[in-house]
Amino acid sequence: MVGLAYDFVANPLGAVRLSFEKAVASSPSDADPTVAFRGKDWGAIDLFRDFLFEQGGLSQVPVLDASTHKWIQPNTLVRFRGMVQDMLGNEFYIGACKDGPTWRTNKFRDLSSFPMPPSCETLLWERHLFHCVPVPGQNSWTLESSPSPTARNMSSCLTFQHREKRRRDGDVDAVELDASDGDSSCSKKQKEDVNPAFVSSSSNDWRNHNNVSEPTKGDHAFPENTLSCLVKVYDMPESQFKLNDVIEFIGIYTFDPELVITKDDSDDMMYDFMEDAVAHLPSSKVPRLHCLVCKKLAAQDFPPSSHAVEPLPHVVKSIRESLLGHLTAVLGNDGLAAQFLLLHLLSRVRARVDLITVGKLSLNLTSFTRESVSIFGNELTSAIQNLLPYTQAIPLTVEYLNTATLQPRKDNQTGRLVMGALQLAQGTHLTIDETNMQCGTLNSKGVENASLLKHLMEWQTVEYDFEYYKLEMAADVQLLVLSEGKSNILPADLVLPFRPTTVSAVNAGAEELQSWRWYLATVRSLPSSSEPEISKMLENEMVDAMREDRSLGSTDLNRLLTMAQLTSASFGEKSLSLENGEGVGKA
Amino acid sequence: MASPGYSSPYGVSSPDGRSSSPIATTPHRGGSPFASASPRRPSRRSASAAPSTPMSTDDTLPPSSSSDAGDDAAFAGDDADPTPVYVWGTSISVQDVNAAILRFLRHFREPDNSASASAAAAAAAAMEEGRYMREVHRIMELEGGESLDVDARHVFDYDPDLYGKMVRYPLEVLAIFDIVLMDLVARIDPLFEKHIQTRIFNLKSSVCMRNLNPSDIEKMVSVKGMIIRCSSIIPEVKEAVFRCLICGYYSEPILVDRGRVSEPTRCGRQECLAMNSMTLVHNRCRFVDKQIVKLQETPDEIPEGGTPHTVSILMHDKLVDAGKPGDRVEITGIYRAMSVRIGPTQRTVKSIFKTYIDCLHLKKTDKSRLHIEDTVECNNNSSSTHKAGDDEMPDYQDKVEKLKELSKLPDIYDRLTGSLAPNIWELDDVKRGLLCQLFGGNALKLPSGASFRGDINILLVGDPGTSKSQLLQYIHKLSPRGIYTSGRGSSAVGLTAYVTKDPETGETVLESGALVLSDRGVCCIDEFDKMSDNARSMLHEVMEQQTVSIAKAGIIASLNARTSVLACANPSESRYNPRLSVIDNIHLPPTLLSRFDLIYLILDKPDEQTDRRLAKHVVSLHFQNPETVVQDVLDLPTLVAYISYARKNIHPQISDEAAEELTRGYVDMRRRGNTPGSRKKVITATARQIESLIRLSEALARMRFSEWVELRDVREAFRLLEVALQQSATDHSTGTIDMDLIMTGISASERMRRENLVAATRNLIMEKMQLGGASAYLRDLLEELKKQSSVEVTQNDLRNALATLMSEGVVVIQGDSVKRI
Repeated sequence: MVGLAYDFVANPLGAVRLSFEKAVASSPSDADPTVAFRGKDWGAIDLFRDFLFEQGGLSQVPVLDASTHKWIQPNTLVRFRGMVQDMLGNEFYIGACKDGPTWRTNKFRDLSSFPMPPSCETLLWERHLFHCVPVPGQNSWTLESSPSPTARNMSSCLTFQHREKRRRDGDVDAVELDASDGDSSCSKKQKEDVNPAFVSSSSNDWRNHNNVSEPTKGDHAFPENTLSCLVKVYDMPESQFKLNDVIEFIGIYTFDPELVITKDDSDDMMYDFMEDAVAHLPSSKVPRLHCLVCKKLAAQDFPPSSHAVEPLPHVVKSIRESLLGHLTAVLGNDGLAAQFLLLHLLSRVRARVDLITVGKLSLNLTSFTRESVSIFGNELTSAIQNLLPYTQAIPLTVEYLNTATLQPRKDNQTGRLVMGALQLAQGTHLTIDETNMQCGTLNSKGVENASLLKHLMEWQTVEYDFEYYKLEMAADVQLLVLSEGKSNILPADLVLPFRPTTVSAVNAGAEELQSWRWYLATVRSLPSSSEPEISKMLENEMVDAMREDRSLGSTDLNRLLTMAQLTSASFGEKSLSLENGEGVGKA
Repeated sequence: MASPGYSSPYGVSSPDGRSSSPIATTPHRGGSPFASASPRRPSRRSASAAPSTPMSTDDTLPPSSSSDAGDDAAFAGDDADPTPVYVWGTSISVQDVNAAILRFLRHFREPDNSASASAAAAAAAAMEEGRYMREVHRIMELEGGESLDVDARHVFDYDPDLYGKMVRYPLEVLAIFDIVLMDLVARIDPLFEKHIQTRIFNLKSSVCMRNLNPSDIEKMVSVKGMIIRCSSIIPEVKEAVFRCLICGYYSEPILVDRGRVSEPTRCGRQECLAMNSMTLVHNRCRFVDKQIVKLQETPDEIPEGGTPHTVSILMHDKLVDAGKPGDRVEITGIYRAMSVRIGPTQRTVKSIFKTYIDCLHLKKTDKSRLHIEDTVECNNNSSSTHKAGDDEMPDYQDKVEKLKELSKLPDIYDRLTGSLAPNIWELDDVKRGLLCQLFGGNALKLPSGASFRGDINILLVGDPGTSKSQLLQYIHKLSPRGIYTSGRGSSAVGLTAYVTKDPETGETVLESGALVLSDRGVCCIDEFDKMSDNARSMLHEVMEQQTVSIAKAGIIASLNARTSVLACANPSESRYNPRLSVIDNIHLPPTLLSRFDLIYLILDKPDEQTDRRLAKHVVSLHFQNPETVVQDVLDLPTLVAYISYARKNIHPQISDEAAEELTRGYVDMRRRGNTPGSRKKVITATARQIESLIRLSEALARMRFSEWVELRDVREAFRLLEVALQQSATDHSTGTIDMDLIMTGISASERMRRENLVAATRNLIMEKMQLGGASAYLRDLLEELKKQSSVEVTQNDLRNALATLMSEGVVVIQGDSVKRI
């Protein structure tokens, strides 16, 4: 294309407008053009797709996050990765309106760009609203650095930034406060635009947890220093997205800090009543994103795909060995624990059949003491953080159980889903440190929280509280429990005493880390299949095992089979091979 | 205008009551389409002119078919405008609609009425008033009702075209509807001054809340959901009265048009005519109530991985406070959208619209239809009491038909058994028992006040790892009102009910525990054996009397807890010891144990065949598409529907031959204890067992949707009971069933043995020891006894025997020494 009248990145709305006009013009004059466009795209999306994926425009699009949010201009194209935290239903808007003889569209914008005469012919279209937040526990290595503003729009950026600064004078001290005080969380000021969301160096681990664990304040129920976004999605059934999906949106960013005063009219209490859900996310605080293109993200989308697409057996095996070595080192030379940890890291929920959740493998490492936790626990947490895209940790204490908000809860007053610590993206790793648990009394909230955790562990579901009823949401969370003795609060699938022998400094090169991440993500997503003869063999194996040990129940067999499957998968094999199956009984 | 009382509201072009607008900017019913629609005026004139014609002022005169014809003709004459009037922007002729509505109101009769009337009786039927005419008369007589509920299905049956118009153009058609109605009323009684509103309900199809889309705007829709929030009641000015500050002149009431009051700029009195002097007089204005309610989708409509949608509902007048938060309701109303202004003072509007439903009718529904809380009503005639019209939703009927189809299958019993927890292997008899529990027997209340429970209680005892907990979880999911608790974590009050202080008001509040909450459901108690004795003792009352009594902190209450208890326990030594009785194995008091109808031992017996099946099953779980594994079973929703329908509608009675069989079987069971040649009396069945048998056979009949308990039900009940008894009540030393094991914890043979020992000890003491002589040591006695008797005697047994003797006054025990007295 030559001589474009618009710039996709800086002026996407121009592209939308032009394509709309072109489409209107090209449609037969007798047909009502806008009827044809309702709930459909008239070619604008294709235009953007072409720009982004064919012409390599993707790299020019800045990533929207807490740090870049300051200088990105409204009405430009941005990328945003977030978890669907709440679904706010649909919104009707005037999609198009006839201004004199010409049709104009309001698609992909909040306010109409032109004055609408009150009596003009208008068409109502709908769009879906999703409230998206950065994925809880997202590790810094997954965050891509966004392209710095190009020289072209640098100048305009600066002026904008300047204006922003003035407006946010109050926030400046919040920034300083935050910088000086590691776990400042009580700053009541709105500071959604400061402080990189998740810092994953090991010294900051516990601070991260504090963010999660502390009872939420104010009407923003998510960690305050993160950037949430109200995404408006067009022309797509809402069922396409599920709660807690991680999605990358590319769309038009709008943010109008000027629009602060919308409701000082006390008469309009009804008006508030009708609007409430979105009213609590005013556009002056929460930016809007009009989605053009979106894509669901899975764990393997995070590591840059530098490796071969097809996992070759020998490559996989060598990476497996090195990763195992790394884990062994992290675990103080406990090879067995490292083996199990590897299987644990590879587990995911494969299927749910009635009450049985197939494929989960939670691990409980016991025999931790206060001292060994401070050494190995932290080491382990940071190692896992470096390997998996989303990790969270919960220091389980009586106080924590009694005070923390684990359960996501629908606040019917505001119409919002209040985030709980257990609202996690699929595939999140959760470390629960039970070593600090003391004797104490649980209050009713504590009991509820404990049963919530137990439920998650056993069934991989989390009950969301909708005030008048509870709704069970499927989860896929890898749970690792560190405890002194066997944890009775959280019965894990595997209980393993942890026996470290040496303390060794662990250092992993960036190259290696990359390959491990790739390995974990790829192997985890491998489909599993099985040949009939292997099933037969497994059956025989199991019958023998049962004959030897009468105490084997179906749950044990399930677990053994899961392990066998993971073991074979860890070698990069799609189907269970014989020798791995043999190992079932021995494990 | 014959009667200004009702004609005045028409002056603003919309019927009363709904002419109020939710907020200032809102177009409302009778709003924008009419505002620009002049055609409405002539029709109104013609309509309101009608009452002035002295046609039928006598309201007691039933409109006969001939006078109907006359009326219709009169209308036709009135409407004989040279040009037909159309609703703006549509091809709907106002006159046509007018006539159609009138026809409907006058002539609609319930289909069953007309069905009974043959052609010959048609004349007689015609004399009878139509359903809605009767309704109108009733409203007029009562003077209280201000709305006429119109079943949309009736409209559809009578005139599908009218129905279609009504749903597509509700604003216009309902306005005409109201006018026709007012006309009709005025003809009957010109002095009747109240406005009767039409409330349409029961649309043919209801929309799922998340499927509402722009094309539904301004259409009549019906949504189901749960009220989650109600605003406070908002008084809205309907008619405003102004007073001149200068001369004190009161203006005529000024109607509020779409939320806007047109304040007179000058005094209306000719003498005064002062400018800008008018002020609003609040207490002479007329207000109506208004309320906004938030409706949320019910859990069953939410797709997996979604959150519920909400929609705002605008309520007027009588509908205010008709629903409370937490109610499940079905709303019929008009879906509306209104534009949003950027600021209250700015005229510019955002491009966004807010939507709401202008409510016409609200109907409370119990839960979702098939989870109806039902259940085992104490009186059997409950099925006849509930309203016939209530369940006549076609989809519901369809479902019922399907269920009935199912129930006719010859293998329905096996099929149900297979569908219950299909992933838990084997244990078919246990599953059958659990099925019986889910279906339940009939509760019976005698005129004397005595009542018999219909709920079946089941205890599962078994080795660890035999998927007891999973069975429990499954039942918990299946049962409409199931509560799942673990014995370890439950206290007595947590199970029953407790009194707490409300933190805000300081009042004492009674809060229900698990058993009360699962009233008419199944209360699943895991780890029953780990429960404290205190908590367990609370269960005695619940399991037989089915109530929970509370006397605490000034609250004395008896709460219903008509719950079936499904408990599971682990043997006390972690694995079941077959050499010990159930009682010894699970350490439960026999009094409690006897309250369980069925006690199942789930033992893990080594068996290659079962092992193999288990292995195969586990493997298939992992490797196959889960959908293909389970075949030929009912899915969970169907199963739930089947059970709730049966519980609600089927109340089987015992047929004569079944009763005969019950008696015979019971006597048989009792007789089995008296094996010839043995003197000892073994009780193999007690009155509790026959009650259990009745309940079980009723439940079995219910499974077939049969109103009669038949012979085969009774036989199966006997078999189930026997299977359970054989497992739990078999005396291991004799191999016969012994109810004493459950009733007292000691089997008859054991009791014999003890008695023998006491006798032997007594003999020994009589022989060896002098009255008041030196005392003997316990261990010496034990030695002696061991020499004499063939059976093994332990020190403990001896102590027990001596204790018996001491109570008889034969010996005195001091520490280890025994002295004869």
